[in-house]
Amino acid sequence: MAKLELKDVKKSYGPVEVIKGIDLTIEDGEFCVFVGPSGCGKSTLLRMIAGLEDITDGTFAIDGERMNDIAPAKRGIAMVFQSYALYPHLTVRENIAFGLKVRKTPKAEIDSLVNEAVTMLQLDKLTERFPRELSGGQRQRVAIGRAIVGQPETFLFDEPLSNLDAELRVHMRTQISDLHSRLKRTMIYVTHDQVEAMTLADKIVLLRGGKIEQIGSPRDLYERPQNLFAAQFIGTPKMNIFELNGDFSSLRDHLNLPADAHYCGIRPDSFEIVNDGDGILSATVRLVEYLGNACLVHAEIKGHDTIIIEQPVGTQVRAADRISLTTSPNAVHAFAKDGNRID
Amino acid sequence: MSAVRKGPSLSLKAREAITGWLFVSPILTGFLIFFVGPLIAVFYYSTTEWNLLSQQSRFVGMANYVDALTRNETFWDVLVNSLVFAAGLVPLNMAMALGLALALSKSRPGAVFFRTVFFAPVITSAVAWAIIWTFLLQHESGAVNQGLSIFGIDGPNWLHEPDWAMVSVIFTRVLKTVGLNMILYIAALQSIPRDYDEAARIEGASNWEIFRRITWPLLAPTTLVIMVITVVGSLKVFDHIYLMTGGGPQNGTMVLAFYIYEQGFKFFNTGYAAALAVVLFALILLLTIVQMLLKAARK
Repeated sequence: MAKLELKDVKKSYGPVEVIKGIDLTIEDGEFCVFVGPSGCGKSTLLRMIAGLEDITDGTFAIDGERMNDIAPAKRGIAMVFQSYALYPHLTVRENIAFGLKVRKTPKAEIDSLVNEAVTMLQLDKLTERFPRELSGGQRQRVAIGRAIVGQPETFLFDEPLSNLDAELRVHMRTQISDLHSRLKRTMIYVTHDQVEAMTLADKIVLLRGGKIEQIGSPRDLYERPQNLFAAQFIGTPKMNIFELNGDFSSLRDHLNLPADAHYCGIRPDSFEIVNDGDGILSATVRLVEYLGNACLVHAEIKGHDTIIIEQPVGTQVRAADRISLTTSPNAVHAFAKDGNRID
Repeated sequence: MSAVRKGPSLSLKAREAITGWLFVSPILTGFLIFFVGPLIAVFYYSTTEWNLLSQQSRFVGMANYVDALTRNETFWDVLVNSLVFAAGLVPLNMAMALGLALALSKSRPGAVFFRTVFFAPVITSAVAWAIIWTFLLQHESGAVNQGLSIFGIDGPNWLHEPDWAMVSVIFTRVLKTVGLNMILYIAALQSIPRDYDEAARIEGASNWEIFRRITWPLLAPTTLVIMVITVVGSLKVFDHIYLMTGGGPQNGTMVLAFYIYEQGFKFFNTGYAAALAVVLFALILLLTIVQMLLKAARK
């Protein structure tokens, strides 16, 4: 059992406040992903949960017990570091057994737990190797092995896949997902990669500037972003935003937007290219990027930032073409002047 | 068809090699003249009976070595003194350097100041250092004994009692040289990723266990380097002894390097002094090889 609760948690380094009051509950067995741009405080927040950083203000509790001043080893957590933090002078087996050894676990039990972990992670043939003799993916599995062998209630992952190549990252992502299904423990995962966030999370916590911008399921964040930042951070390519005063004021009537809407957002895959005169927007194509499964059309509306439109691979548009665009009112997101969503 | 123009007459590899040799030639020249040359000369002189004053030289083969190793009892006393000096200085220096490095490697208030304080003696003149300590360790008026007298302790005559003289030169030499080893250890400690410490803390390791199981093994390469340079330095010690005790009292601090100096430049037994220098060279070489073998065995 590990239900984590953060109440108005803050972190300051001298006069600089980096975590500005976080209220968050992570349910037992939940896979929670902290996502956000660089410097948003996601790793700091994870390290505060781990006990590696002091909490300046607020309360952090596990299963109702205040943890602010409890040593990391007493919090029932294990952490997988971005660098893996494998001890270079110890073999795979010794690395995995390290925590058990320092906790004075009986040798027979250490052997049994380590064997179980290496079997689960298919490390059987690598146990006598040193970290320098392993590939990135193998090191990652050893780091996970070291985490699971202590049977913690909560797993913390600090950007664990960022040092792997794209193919291995996808593979390890599924392994971590499998691990969560198998162990059914609470997991907190920090990433700046929204694909990892969307594919792994039960709950995403989107952070910016030390504050939570939105908490919700991946579907919530994609389909109902609560503000302009969430709208533009989640989704690749990012959502196109139009300010409804000035050149785009006609969209308000075309798309039945509420009177207090100040911005509207349309995802690249929600646009449709139609015959000239049938559209609600006109643009000039600047570039067409072929992605294999789709094409990204970069188009310019005079005097404004380039917008991106996702089209099927068979699209006939070319650079310098004039195109007419439309979309369904259901696919449009409306935001007030302060950037918050309007339903 | 366009003709291929003829390139340089030398291959790229040959030109790079010439450039490389040109770059290293100044240091190589100095090394050959001032190190390899004298080294060969010492081996030659050690086989002669050569009086520096009379400039008379006579080939005597291994006689100087036989004399030193079998007939001259002072040589063995001096060798033991050198080993005692090294055995006292090396562990004390390394333990102090490691302790200081552990205390001062992290950025905390005062760390830079104390690093400077402990490193300053390294760049201080050995002569000034020895003279100051000679004053501080004087029997009646020395600051050390006056300080001890505050606590009711009657301090010994540090530099004039055989046992205390050795302790005094070891201790003051440690204070003079510990800063360099401290800096080497600090550099090594700072190169250990913080993640190791944090991962171990999460796994429940105490500070002592983190040091014993992680930090100390990761410092092993640095420890070996420090051990080699400290052992070599301790066996070569000369200035400190010359200035503080002159090898006395009763030859109590007469170490090999100082004995070689006395034989060569006080008694002008140049051939004999050269043989002793070769013995010192062999001793240092042997100890260094042993330490390297230990390192290889650990791997």
